[in-house]
Amino acid sequence: MLHAKIIDTSKEKIDILKAEEFLSSSNFGALIYFVGTVRDLNENKKVTGITYDSRDSMVIKSFEEIYKDSEIKLNIKDKAVFIEHVKGYVSIKEKSIIIGVGCKHRNEAYNLSRFIIEEIKKRTPIWKKEHYTNEESEWLKGVSIQL
Amino acid sequence: MKVTVELYGATKDLSKNNFLEFDLKKNSSIKDIKIQILNLIEKSFEGNQNLKKLIEGSAFCSDKDEIISENYKINENQKIGIIPPIGGG
Repeated sequence: MLHAKIIDTSKEKIDILKAEEFLSSSNFGALIYFVGTVRDLNENKKVTGITYDSRDSMVIKSFEEIYKDSEIKLNIKDKAVFIEHVKGYVSIKEKSIIIGVGCKHRNEAYNLSRFIIEEIKKRTPIWKKEHYTNEESEWLKGVSIQL
Repeated sequence: MKVTVELYGATKDLSKNNFLEFDLKKNSSIKDIKIQILNLIEKSFEGNQNLKKLIEGSAFCSDKDEIISENYKINENQKIGIIPPIGGG
């Protein structure tokens, strides 16, 4: 069971309560929530916020593929996964991503949560433009997607 | 034939429109689009090395959201996406 969505920050807010509601309906005993937020300092620059860009249809496709791959690579068949990622402007300390996982046992849940965020970093087409206090905004360097 | 390249991330600095349009010969490939973009950087961005590196490190995707190779043949009026190095989360 997978919930995958992009939250356009100009229209709605990303909310961990939705992840809790989704996972509570799954009846799994081990639940893990990973929340990514915008930090205020990056490479000694004072950050005021980040604008996220994404190719939406490809993002959802990659979330679905990561969900399926977790079955093969981690051998976790029974699971509930909630993934929401923002698009648009986000201020410091605000949430950019929520990953909620539900599994039968804690070891599976920890492994699955870590697997999902690491795979998103490697294969999901999302980009960050960082904004600073006294410097020009810039797109952050990322990882090239391989064929 | 007309081909549209949708821009994402740092490649959006190449156009205010968030896309580029090229008129290419039939049977052109992604390799040809790359050459066109590098020519544009040469002409309109004074050969900016960072932008050139960005294009060299970028992948391309089809309108079906599949990553495609440099030899992929483009169809008329097809929309191609450029996928610069990613960094979500």
